[in-house]
Amino acid sequence: MGKTIYIFSAGELKRKENTVVFEGEDGRKFLPVETTDELMIFGEVSLNKRFLEFCTVSHVPLHFFNHHGYYQGSYSPREFLNSGATILAQAACYLDHEKRVDIARRIVCGAMENMAVVLNYYRRRGNESLVSMLSNIESYKGKLDKSDSVAEIMGLEGNGREAYYSAFDHITGGGPFAFDVRSRRPPQNRMNALISFLNSMCYVTALSQIYRTHLDPRIGFLHETNFRRFSLNLDVAEIFKPILVDRIIFSLINKKVIQAKHFEDGPSGGIYLQESGRKIVVSAWEERLQQTIDHPRLKRKVSYRGLMRMEVHKLEKHILGDQTYEPHISGW
Amino acid sequence: MAVPCFSEPPRIGGTLVWYFSICHREVWFMSHGIEPDREDDFLVMGRLIDENSYRRDRHSVSFGDNRFDIVKVEDGTLVVGEVKKSSRSIDAARLQLAHYLYDLWKDGIIAKGQLLFPKEKRRKEVELTEETRHRLDGVYEEIREIACMAAPPKAVKNRFCSVCAYSDLCWS
Ligand code: SF4
Repeated sequence: MGKTIYIFSAGELKRKENTVVFEGEDGRKFLPVETTDELMIFGEVSLNKRFLEFCTVSHVPLHFFNHHGYYQGSYSPREFLNSGATILAQAACYLDHEKRVDIARRIVCGAMENMAVVLNYYRRRGNESLVSMLSNIESYKGKLDKSDSVAEIMGLEGNGREAYYSAFDHITGGGPFAFDVRSRRPPQNRMNALISFLNSMCYVTALSQIYRTHLDPRIGFLHETNFRRFSLNLDVAEIFKPILVDRIIFSLINKKVIQAKHFEDGPSGGIYLQESGRKIVVSAWEERLQQTIDHPRLKRKVSYRGLMRMEVHKLEKHILGDQTYEPHISGW
Repeated sequence: MAVPCFSEPPRIGGTLVWYFSICHREVWFMSHGIEPDREDDFLVMGRLIDENSYRRDRHSVSFGDNRFDIVKVEDGTLVVGEVKKSSRSIDAARLQLAHYLYDLWKDGIIAKGQLLFPKEKRRKEVELTEETRHRLDGVYEEIREIACMAAPPKAVKNRFCSVCAYSDLCWS
């Protein structure tokens, strides 16, 4: 499992023989491309075609974020792992209504179970007000079996998430991080800014892991496929958002690591994490991704980043008719 | 989900024959273009051993769907060498090499085979006999059958899983 390199400062990315150098304000830095999984670029960076070609042969995708930390797009190495048979099977699963609904249902069910795991964690620590949200999520989850269209499943997912989000203020105590309602573009308050930023990190990380399997990131099951954008990574992220994104948010806020001063108003409305805040969040994110758990079947430790890859492998096996997909449910 | 079966039969190269003796699931994956992540440590180690041993001979010679590790001439006879990390799967290696000799034989070339275990400083001669040719014909047939299966053969833990590049996929 390789590393993720985050670039916050301005500078130039260049290929130097068989390595990559970043020339920024603080001088030259050599990047170990052999052991790099992906590059996350936040700063004003210039690069050339020679550099992109090098990324292609080294199988390193680049993900770009704008000035506000918003995901802009990716440069992906062409055909890293490629299996025509797998892509055909993936497309066939998408086109078969029954099979697509089944996968979508499994994903949403897993996402809801992980939401419940997170809420239960705080309930066990004495937060009894979470009981009602938990029972709401449970009842939406119960309706999944009877839903027979992806739109319906998406609707239930939305309901479940709403119930789940209504628990946030109970966990953080509201205050400077009061939730209100979910607002995306642009986020209207600090909580929304945090969620948007970390969700996009989760989507991008899932995307990089999909590149290391044989599935096509453009064909999702829960999220509509539109060949101009990625959707399978959104599906995979559903499973991990509660246990990665939201747990980080709670811990950063409750430990007062992230504070109101780390946010700023955007020029055209909305509120954003400023650079100092982004750095804090990214390092918490990276730390969490590197945390390991014992994998029961692989019989070795696997990081959360690796666990995302395993999740894609599980979907791959489901699609190949090998083994039915059971989403990862967090243990605590 | 049934994976579409391709009307074109799989190209049977040495690697597929080798996998056949190790694990049929690998054969299915390989014949469906499902290659493991190239970062896998064992694959990298295999490549390094390949590149650093036996420098004087010709390396990596393509022949049909095969790639011979080493080709040399000894006492006027063509010798095909196959380099392996260990003699742990010697029977699989033997079959793979016999397959190379068989493919050459079909082209009218008589060759000898050598299995090379640089780490163990060992080598083993392999010859093509009527019996192995017969056995290989059966193996090719079975490989084609595996490749035509609608889903991969189920994963069953075996003694190769721990060094197999597909283990992340199989045991995730
Ligand atoms: S991990 Fe084990 S079961 Fe899977 S392909 Fe390799 S040897 Fe076969």
